Amino acid sequence: MEIRNFTLNFGPQHPAAHGVLRLVLEMDGEVIERADPHVGLLHRATEKLAEQRHWVQSLPYMDRLDYVSMMCNEHGYVLAMERLLGIEVPERAQYIRVMFDEITRILNHLLWLGSHALDVGAMTMFLYCFREREDLMDCYEAVSGARMHAAYYRPGGVYRDLPETMPQYQTSKWHDEAQVHESNQNRRGSLLDFIEDFTNRFPGYVDDYETLLTDNRIWKQRTVGIGVVSPERALQLGFSGPMLRGSGIAWDLRKKQPYEVYDRLAFDIPVGTNGDSYDRYLVRIEEMRQSNRIIKQCIAWLRKNPGPVISGDHKVAPPPRADVKADMESLIHHFKLMSEGIGMPEGEAYAAVEHPKGEFGIYIVSDGANKPYRLKIRAPGFAHLSALDEMVRGHMLADVVAVIGTQDIVFGEIDR
Amino acid sequence: MVNIEINGIKLEARDGAMVIEVADEAGIVIPRFCYHKKLSIAANCRMCLVEVEKVAKPLPACATPVTEGMKVFTHSPKALGAQRAVLEFLLINHPLDCPICDQGGECDLQEMAIGFGGDVSRYAEGKRVVTDPDLGALIATDMGRCIHCTRCVRFGQEVAGMWELGGTGRGEHTRIGTYVADTVDSELSANVVDLCPVGALTSKPYRYSGRPWELVGRPGISPHDCVGANLRADIRGKQIMRVLPQEREEINETWLADRDRFAYLGGRSAERITAPMVKRETGWQATDWDSALTFAAEGLKRVLDVHGPSQLGAWVGDTATVEEAYLTQKLMRALGSGNVDHRLRQVDFRDQEQLPAFPYLGMAIADLERLDGALLIGSNIRKEQPLLGQRLRKAALRGGQIAFINPRAYPFNFPVSQQIVAAHNWVTEVAAVARAALALAGEEIPEGLPEAEVGEAHEAIAAALRSGEQRAVLLGNLAAYHPAQTELRAMAALIARSCGAHFGVLAEGGNSAGAWLAGAVPHRGMAAQPTAVMGRDWRSMAHEGVKGLLLLSTEPESDCIEPLRATQALKQADFVVAINAFASDAARDYADVILPPALYLEAAGTLVNCEGRWQSFEGTTPPPGEARPAWKLLRVLGNLLNAIGFEQLSITDVRDELAPALAVGADNQIPWRVPAPPSFEGGIMRLVDYPIYSVDGLVRRSAPLQQTRDAIAGAVYVAGATLTQVDLGGADRVRVMQGEGEALLPVIVDEAIPVGCVYIPAGTTATAALGGGFGVVEMTHA
Amino acid sequence: MNSMFRFLKSLFLLELFGGMRVTGRHFWRKKITLHYPEERAPVSPRFRALHAQRRYANGEERCIACKLCEVVCPAMAITIESAQREDGSRRTTRYEIDLTKCIFCGFCEESCPVDSIVETHVYEYHGESRDELLMTKEKLLAVGDKYEAQIAAARAQDAKYR
Repeated sequence: MEIRNFTLNFGPQHPAAHGVLRLVLEMDGEVIERADPHVGLLHRATEKLAEQRHWVQSLPYMDRLDYVSMMCNEHGYVLAMERLLGIEVPERAQYIRVMFDEITRILNHLLWLGSHALDVGAMTMFLYCFREREDLMDCYEAVSGARMHAAYYRPGGVYRDLPETMPQYQTSKWHDEAQVHESNQNRRGSLLDFIEDFTNRFPGYVDDYETLLTDNRIWKQRTVGIGVVSPERALQLGFSGPMLRGSGIAWDLRKKQPYEVYDRLAFDIPVGTNGDSYDRYLVRIEEMRQSNRIIKQCIAWLRKNPGPVISGDHKVAPPPRADVKADMESLIHHFKLMSEGIGMPEGEAYAAVEHPKGEFGIYIVSDGANKPYRLKIRAPGFAHLSALDEMVRGHMLADVVAVIGTQDIVFGEIDR
Repeated sequence: MVNIEINGIKLEARDGAMVIEVADEAGIVIPRFCYHKKLSIAANCRMCLVEVEKVAKPLPACATPVTEGMKVFTHSPKALGAQRAVLEFLLINHPLDCPICDQGGECDLQEMAIGFGGDVSRYAEGKRVVTDPDLGALIATDMGRCIHCTRCVRFGQEVAGMWELGGTGRGEHTRIGTYVADTVDSELSANVVDLCPVGALTSKPYRYSGRPWELVGRPGISPHDCVGANLRADIRGKQIMRVLPQEREEINETWLADRDRFAYLGGRSAERITAPMVKRETGWQATDWDSALTFAAEGLKRVLDVHGPSQLGAWVGDTATVEEAYLTQKLMRALGSGNVDHRLRQVDFRDQEQLPAFPYLGMAIADLERLDGALLIGSNIRKEQPLLGQRLRKAALRGGQIAFINPRAYPFNFPVSQQIVAAHNWVTEVAAVARAALALAGEEIPEGLPEAEVGEAHEAIAAALRSGEQRAVLLGNLAAYHPAQTELRAMAALIARSCGAHFGVLAEGGNSAGAWLAGAVPHRGMAAQPTAVMGRDWRSMAHEGVKGLLLLSTEPESDCIEPLRATQALKQADFVVAINAFASDAARDYADVILPPALYLEAAGTLVNCEGRWQSFEGTTPPPGEARPAWKLLRVLGNLLNAIGFEQLSITDVRDELAPALAVGADNQIPWRVPAPPSFEGGIMRLVDYPIYSVDGLVRRSAPLQQTRDAIAGAVYVAGATLTQVDLGGADRVRVMQGEGEALLPVIVDEAIPVGCVYIPAGTTATAALGGGFGVVEMTHA
Repeated sequence: MNSMFRFLKSLFLLELFGGMRVTGRHFWRKKITLHYPEERAPVSPRFRALHAQRRYANGEERCIACKLCEVVCPAMAITIESAQREDGSRRTTRYEIDLTKCIFCGFCEESCPVDSIVETHVYEYHGESRDELLMTKEKLLAVGDKYEAQIAAARAQDAKYR
């Protein structure tokens, strides 16, 4: 009798498929012979859409690429535009951006940690991670008005300055004055106070996560030695971010090609040694701690240095609202920026940011019109997903889930 | 030639050229408001200030002539600083109107402010307030936005020839307006909307209805006169939002007549139908195409079976495209009938066999402005072909001797060397010029040239036609309406020949030339080929009767020069198919089925202008509802009537069949024939013309055009002396009788009408009951 | 020695008890969850949710049909038709926001020169058909009328940042 390999369709409806991954697995018993990821189920033609919209109009679509690290996507896009425009961004805006990039990194890693642990069987982690995410999303909301798709960064800076107040809980029949007073403890000051309070609490939370996972035997059994990628292979496969650093290569755009004010901030780059899922877990945990450190430094700077948060060049950044209603030049610039958009000089630019998932790059070509001639998104997840086959070959079916988890796959950016 | 340098680029320039012209040619951007290549130089906006080497102060590029070795810097800090300062001043008094201003998004001031201005205002004081004059139905005003570039003033003065707008006051108190409250009545008035660099003058019909970024511009050709002006229809969704000129130097330059610009609004008329309609016993019913076309075909078949092909005819509107006219005549001829005609405004067809293939201007349109002498016979060119009138005006201002022989004196906006008013004795007046011309040429007087007394005026006209480089004798629309068209044409050609001038015809319809070439005439087929069956012209059909009629894009009750006869013939016919977008009361009365075609700008087609230029265009927007391109309707009718040669799948198939017509060259040889002019004995002579906004169904329904001063109502225009002559002095309404028809019309006393004559316009509803065009009328008390 | 220590740690399930301690601690902690819908999470004045059209205090609608929101909308969710009203002012004859297209980026509010189109804090709306999620001018004005106090307060609070 002939023994044939078994072909299994994993996803797109599988809860561990992280969105709409469809994986065709060829298995010999429970051992993976071949894994064939299918992409395109979440394709929205973002790059093509951008060609029909003026520059700033595509910005909200960037939020929706990697929809767990929204502001980092925006950052890549505005950075590319700013390079082509050759404009200066106010320092305060740079600090705000860096702070929110790191908040975003924590947001992303928390989601990754929660869902990865959930995939592997640890339910509690998920709940804890989402509790912390709530606080960070409140920061998003306070500054941009949206808890996820912020549309907050703009070419030339950020849309609005950080608010001086935070919204507060109200009493209800479930929570009396005293309880509400306690929940509002960290909401009485400004947004910066709120974030600072979070950064003070957060290392403790990370300790909790580590207590739950780092030494946990089940966690280690599921992650140690799973999806090993050698440093050479990681480079060849185009890995970036924690996937690359987990394999022992200390590559981080924040250090190697510092943008904004990263060169003025103190932080370390964690690096793994074995290139397996467990090392990548450790790298990401440490990244959260380092992000927390960066945020603290940003808060300290931002407290001391008030100032403009968006370029004063109204050929690029819309004038303030009060001016639009009072002076002619501002009104004209507002009108033209809203209807026609920015007049981008001819040329091309590439800007990459150290996104929570790796190198997120935006390549733009402008023919001098008010919309891109071509926009190319370099999504880190795409390179990682293409290595899935190599990473799971010879592993068990259950390890596929762990590898998908460790890759931190988000289909918004892969299919874009 | 002069060598100059702009921004370090070495350029060659014509002597006397301005810096801005040289820069424009080289593609170097210099901001400007008041400069316009078609207008004179005012240099009053100061926006185009540039730095010139060795000159202390920045100079306006539009008013600085080039000199040898000149070095100009348009983007140096000094030039940019000057431009920025000028812009700041201009914006001081500009209201914060962008959000409600129609110009927003296509405003020169916005563009310049973005490109050359500062981005914050330093001005905090109050702004100037200006009242907005009412300039009529076409132009909306918001004069607070005016930056006093005076383009509109110069346009009126230099191009439109009516100095209606002007500037009063000075400095901040300058006002652009009419001084004495009045409307702007030029037939080219709306061009100031395009010229205005800001939102001070905007289009009233388009007011607040759209934004430039929503509009898609698609090219088209205007069918309302024989110029074939190139235009751009701006479409939003499926609706035409506005019409703008498309620059075409050799035809319409950068201008567009108001008629071409606002006629599209006629398509919004309540009379427009968007589904085929059939008259049944119970009344008019909207129906589907299958049943309507079958009904039409069966009706025509019945006429054919009972009365034979000679009782079948087709009247083609002269705005119909070449393809439509071609298919109509093809259908008629396939059914065995030669009765097809488009010359609905003519009454005299005696010389039709001798005529050239199509009415030709005798020269290119652009050559009109280079004429040194011209004689126009029976033409109110200014209102009939406004853009040609504008060209002729340029010739006159250059010193060209432009003369007219008209049945009545028309006010022209340029110096006219002679205007002979010849109401009763038109033929003799032309004959007198002919005699004078022949005498000057020393030629023999041909047989039959009417006797005429040669006066000084006639001699002057003849002499002017012999001097200078380019001369022309042009036969106008009024001659086409006249019963002595043959004589006028023959004599005009004779004058031209003897003077060595061009002979040309200003065709009366937008596509008369195309209709001739398509074979929509009873005696000739497509491309002026002889036809197997000689048909009857429209007038014979109307007078002798015809049992089945196909109307293509025409409303005989207004379009025909003899409206009464035409409607009677239609009522007496057994079956009438009207391919017309409008279901007027008259059409509901005489037609049996109305098939709604696409209007112009809604379907593809070809128009041939008076210089024989074929201009094809695509539809700019799909026709509303069930309306379909007329050529498709005709093709299906052909199929249903089992006619051969109606298998065209696309309009290009129809155009391919028209290839021989395209090859027909322009030729204007009119052989001399012995005239036999009709005589007008006794009574009062009616003078007629089609007022500018009554020429076709679309224009007649364009509400804004009908609110202008040029929209002449049906009335009797008469000199006071004439009224006294017939004992009607002081009457405000009179009963007018002409032929079989009579109408009760208001009287408008107009001393410009020659005594013994009345002017009653054609093409209006009020005059539809009258018997004919030029002719004798009787007037009695109402 | 080290491996001996690790063996003992593993044998006595120390790391698992460590984890249990964490969860146990959380077990006795006060809940941070809210009893929605009786209770709601606080909402930032910049919050972007359901749209509204505002009026001036005298009842006149603010919108002047400048169409900036229509053109700036990246999702092309806004449809405006405008005309001249009898009093000569520029007004919309149709103003529709298709909530199924809207991506709530807030650009419409940002572009509005008269603070007419705004995004309110109303995040609990639903529609059972596409039709119900098409906000017409009447619906938008009704939302605006209902929440004007809240809208104005939030705008006032955020005015200095815009």
